[in-house]
Amino acid sequence: MGAISLQNVTKSYDGVTAVNAVSLNVREGAILGLLGPNGAGKTSTIRMVMNILIPDEGSIQVFGDPVSDDTRRLTGYLPEERGLYPRMDVRSVIVFLAALRGLSEAEARKRADEWLGRLELSDWAGKKVRDLSKGMQQKVQFIAAVLHKPRLMILDEPFSGLDPVNAATIKDIMLEMRDQGSTIVLSTHLMEQVERLCDSICLINKGHNILDGDLRAIKKSYGKNTVRIEFTGSDGFLAHPAIASVNRFGSGAEAKLKPAADAQEILKAAVQSFRTA
Amino acid sequence: MRSIWIVVKREYLTAVKTKAFVLTTILLPLVGIGFFGMILFLTTHQPTKTFRLAIVDEAGGLGPSISHNLDAKLPSGQPEFTVVKAIEQPAPDDDVENQLRADILADKLDAYLFVPRDLTKSAQLHTRNPGDFALQGPLLSALNRAVILNRLNARGIHIDDAGEIMKSVGMELIKVSKSGETVERGQSMGLAIALVVLLYMSLLIYGIIMMRSVLEEKTTRTMEVLISSVKPFQLLTGKILGVAATAFTQLLIWLISLLILLSYGAAMASTMGPDSPFTNVHVPASLIVYAIIFFVGGYFLYSALYAAIGAACSSEHDAQQMQWLATAPLVFTMLIYGMVLGDPASTMSVALSEIPFFAPVLMPLRISLQMPPFWQIALSIFLLFAGTIGAIWASSKVYRVGVLMYGKRPTLPELARWLRYS
Repeated sequence: MGAISLQNVTKSYDGVTAVNAVSLNVREGAILGLLGPNGAGKTSTIRMVMNILIPDEGSIQVFGDPVSDDTRRLTGYLPEERGLYPRMDVRSVIVFLAALRGLSEAEARKRADEWLGRLELSDWAGKKVRDLSKGMQQKVQFIAAVLHKPRLMILDEPFSGLDPVNAATIKDIMLEMRDQGSTIVLSTHLMEQVERLCDSICLINKGHNILDGDLRAIKKSYGKNTVRIEFTGSDGFLAHPAIASVNRFGSGAEAKLKPAADAQEILKAAVQSFRTA
Repeated sequence: MRSIWIVVKREYLTAVKTKAFVLTTILLPLVGIGFFGMILFLTTHQPTKTFRLAIVDEAGGLGPSISHNLDAKLPSGQPEFTVVKAIEQPAPDDDVENQLRADILADKLDAYLFVPRDLTKSAQLHTRNPGDFALQGPLLSALNRAVILNRLNARGIHIDDAGEIMKSVGMELIKVSKSGETVERGQSMGLAIALVVLLYMSLLIYGIIMMRSVLEEKTTRTMEVLISSVKPFQLLTGKILGVAATAFTQLLIWLISLLILLSYGAAMASTMGPDSPFTNVHVPASLIVYAIIFFVGGYFLYSALYAAIGAACSSEHDAQQMQWLATAPLVFTMLIYGMVLGDPASTMSVALSEIPFFAPVLMPLRISLQMPPFWQIALSIFLLFAGTIGAIWASSKVYRVGVLMYGKRPTLPELARWLRYS
């Protein structure tokens, strides 16, 4: 039994099909990266798993049971945009949301203080939410999502607004939760995060599930013909006949090779051009 | 169930701790007392001056009589009127009226009364300030008494003062009910009217707070997190109860301060004599109980409507434009008020007072006028609370769907579609 299972899920708004016959299986204990450009249908899919939206067609199961208010209780949800009461103080908001999830107030308060300490927000526990910076609010939102130790965590753009240090802390917490048995689904459009954190991915574009599976397996079967080279100076060597297309960066370039080309030829050409420069 | 309680607690504590709540609770009674004090002061310390009047009597013979009748005195002891000039039977080519008009404009005179020969036509009061109603009454009555006296004299009945003959008789209102006869000084109707005003005002304040609370959750996207933890029906019920608790706390504080004030007022009133409007006020306890029940029920019902509007709109601006929808039924009630007043037991009145939107106003009114049969009251209460639950249910549907379709203002057909969507 997987953690989440979607079969042929479709959802349209006003004639626009946001999610188009998407099928997906997320195994328990995985960290799945839901990747796709803006407007691809990631958030709509997530909302359907969270029973916030109802699919027009298809079905969704969470831990074997069809999606319902009860399956919501098993899930920790971090929405894409901030969902906190601006005028409440940090601790009260967390306790309120946790109480709604079934925790007793005393237990919720205890755990809230633990988490606030861990994420270095103890000094802000009594302050109003609107007085916090965007990144701090994101951390509070994260605490509210994980406080009740959910079996399944769905995080929509969890790193947005976080500086590298905070992002690293969150990443470590996610890995820790996975080690304790939770399943994590994180949606993002930043590839680097996915590579560092996830073991499975699902690519969504224009409402379709383009690709999904184990990350390493996917990487192995794609992207063999790419050379990444960092350099300063003339980029004339990139006009080599073995190169199909080039993607330039500030510090170098990523060159896609033609089929059956040899990457070593490119290296030779590059060294040659710099020697003569 | 527990979820509802958690939401209620949050709404209540958040609202009660705001500065706005504390300030309004304390300030309003103070402002009210200030107003009363000022009005009291103004009415007892009115610096009025004697009204300068001229009389032009075409037929003649009425002038002295009218002057004699204008013998009222001001609180300061000065006469209310002085007749500066009395012109009897003016010659046609006399420029009397123009002269008087000039006097008025020159502030030598306040008004002149023109009494025509032909009394089937009206007399005319030429005055600079037609808004001074307080003086027109005594003048008209003085004129009429003079005319009647004149007519009596012409028929050979000689009386010095028509006043005694013309004194009118008062009429007391006594309500006949199963519990006996009670003197009506307008107190039961007064209570019904007070109820309407109170309901309307508290909805204006707290209904809007309710609407804003729902809207805030929408615009801050707290909505999404909440919806993943609690059902919309529970959320809205919790909100309504929480905001209601805030409202009732405030009303209670005001009521207590009002009662304290009234106890001083009653002490003062007893010195005003037995005919003051405060003595012998008998309001049956059942009326008060029913008034409270209908007030609470009406408040919940209309709060649910306000919540629905907050859920359907996506910005403060939109919500403000739509909020008339929530109070429209209440306004309509006030329009049919007079009809029910005229005949509280008519089929129409009975039917209308059962409808949940109108019941909170019409039922207490009917109860205060003619106690309806108990089954009518019971049915009305049942329908009111059933209607409220229905309204909350419908609102939660709108909430669930409307919440996530933010950005454009819903049209009425869209709203209907959202209700069918589940």
